[in-house]
Amino acid sequence: MKGDMYFASASDEEILKRGEYGGAVTALLKFALESKVVDAVLGVRKRSGNNRYDGVLDLITDPEEVKECAGSLHCAPVNIARNIKEYLDGAKQMKIAVPCKPCDARAIVEIAKRKQIDRDNVLLVGLNCTGTLSPVSAKEMLISEYEVEPGDVVMEDIDEVDGTWKLTVTLSDGTKKEKDLEELEQKGYGRRENCRRCDVNIPRMADIACGKWGVKEGEKQSFIEVCSDTGTEFMDKAVESDAIKVEKPGGDTIAERKKKDEDAIELANKCKEEYLKELREMSLEDRLAYWMRYFDRCIKCFGCRDACPICYCKKCYLEPDRGYVPGGEVPPDRLFPFTRLAHVADSCVNCGQCQDACPAEIPLTRLYTMLNDELSPMFEYVPGMDVEAVPPLIAAKEEEETLIDDINLFLAKGGEGE
Amino acid sequence: MGEEEREIKTDGFEPKIIGFTCNWCTYAAADLAGTSRMKYPANIRLIRLMCSSRVDPLFVLKTLLRGADGVFIGGCHPGECHYITGNLYARRRYSMTKKLLETAGIDPRRVRMEWISAAEGLKFAATMKGFIEEIKELGPGPFNPAGTKKEVKE
Repeated sequence: MKGDMYFASASDEEILKRGEYGGAVTALLKFALESKVVDAVLGVRKRSGNNRYDGVLDLITDPEEVKECAGSLHCAPVNIARNIKEYLDGAKQMKIAVPCKPCDARAIVEIAKRKQIDRDNVLLVGLNCTGTLSPVSAKEMLISEYEVEPGDVVMEDIDEVDGTWKLTVTLSDGTKKEKDLEELEQKGYGRRENCRRCDVNIPRMADIACGKWGVKEGEKQSFIEVCSDTGTEFMDKAVESDAIKVEKPGGDTIAERKKKDEDAIELANKCKEEYLKELREMSLEDRLAYWMRYFDRCIKCFGCRDACPICYCKKCYLEPDRGYVPGGEVPPDRLFPFTRLAHVADSCVNCGQCQDACPAEIPLTRLYTMLNDELSPMFEYVPGMDVEAVPPLIAAKEEEETLIDDINLFLAKGGEGE
Repeated sequence: MGEEEREIKTDGFEPKIIGFTCNWCTYAAADLAGTSRMKYPANIRLIRLMCSSRVDPLFVLKTLLRGADGVFIGGCHPGECHYITGNLYARRRYSMTKKLLETAGIDPRRVRMEWISAAEGLKFAATMKGFIEEIKELGPGPFNPAGTKKEVKE
């Protein structure tokens, strides 16, 4: 049933040994393939050897190969939603199980509303997430701050230890090194900027949400919350066929998980406040100058558009033949960044892919999140949470037609206003 | 802002305002204002559209980025849309556009939307007057090549 919670671990000995937290996710994915619940699993694995800093998506059909994807790669934030849409025909031809972070799940939900991905054909195995790291800065950080060889790292973990957030790395010989996350981030290392601001840690928009919060120290188990009817059916099957072993978690563990989630949200809000405070306090002139300076760095590579999981138009407004942005100009006409902003305004899921793709390092996600933050309370809409919720710019409620004449109906809800 | 600069802005500055108006209401209201010989400043250039929901936020952005000082959108009162709900979508887009401009650092007061029915010639003239006054107060738009300094008193 939706809302059910389990402690789960793999029944398969090998997976149990290999998995970081009992291998429940790997076992579930393997089971999904074996039982033909899905035709393929879209996993992330290392491109080669033990290179944790270069992850590639892999469409797996052989159940045994699923094991290759065990373990999470914090330093390889892969663009899952865009790839499903672009290269797998939006999962319209086959059923795919997708292990994904909350932002990936949100992007998939958001683009499914626009009929680019068939939501019924993707089984979203959500993974709790407290942030990912950019590969290059992560390697730098490991060398200069942790004084370890990046290739020697076998596991990273971001978690709250006694009230402070720590980034812990585990080396191949089993030693652990931890550092204060907020201190690292003040030095410019640590998580990606959008991850610092992200307050969605448990992907409840997926079919099941798996994580380790609530699991007792040293226990090889994962905590799984069932989030949809598809998820319920799938979990029941998996338990029945003995792919995973489950226990019911006690009230204290559920409370502990909840507490961790709340603390993570608090940290996210603090970071968000820090980042946006400066911009919010600027005068309009200064704010415009701030963004114009960044926009002038644009080399018109179209990277942000091509990476964005929300963008999908076949005939893009940014192409010169649409008559908006003239061709052959660098930096491009200002309409280029403004069009991007207008087109993701209500739907940006703060995944940070545009910013990762940008060679000029324009903090695009900061701009998009700032606007999205204003629009969410206005339209009472949070992108990527519910596949049934219609994007606010293409929907109008019945009462708007008959009762309310106020032109500032939505602006008034936005808080500060003019 | 210096006293002198302020004077330049309000005295010599004649704003250019682009108005996107609905064929069924606001455009007709403008017509009515004209045939009834109502007076309002001539700073607005109207573009007739079949519905206010035709106003893509990009129209507003392009207008401002190409140097206009203000943008006006006119549509039918809720419940009176020729296409039933077009104006409701327009209101949503308008709200989004205002916030977008504010986020990027452009004064959201440069964009205004009003419901003006075909019978409200008077309201059209009054709205134009008020809006043009306000834009004069705000001074030239951030992308107006004429800029603040170039407008010199006679």
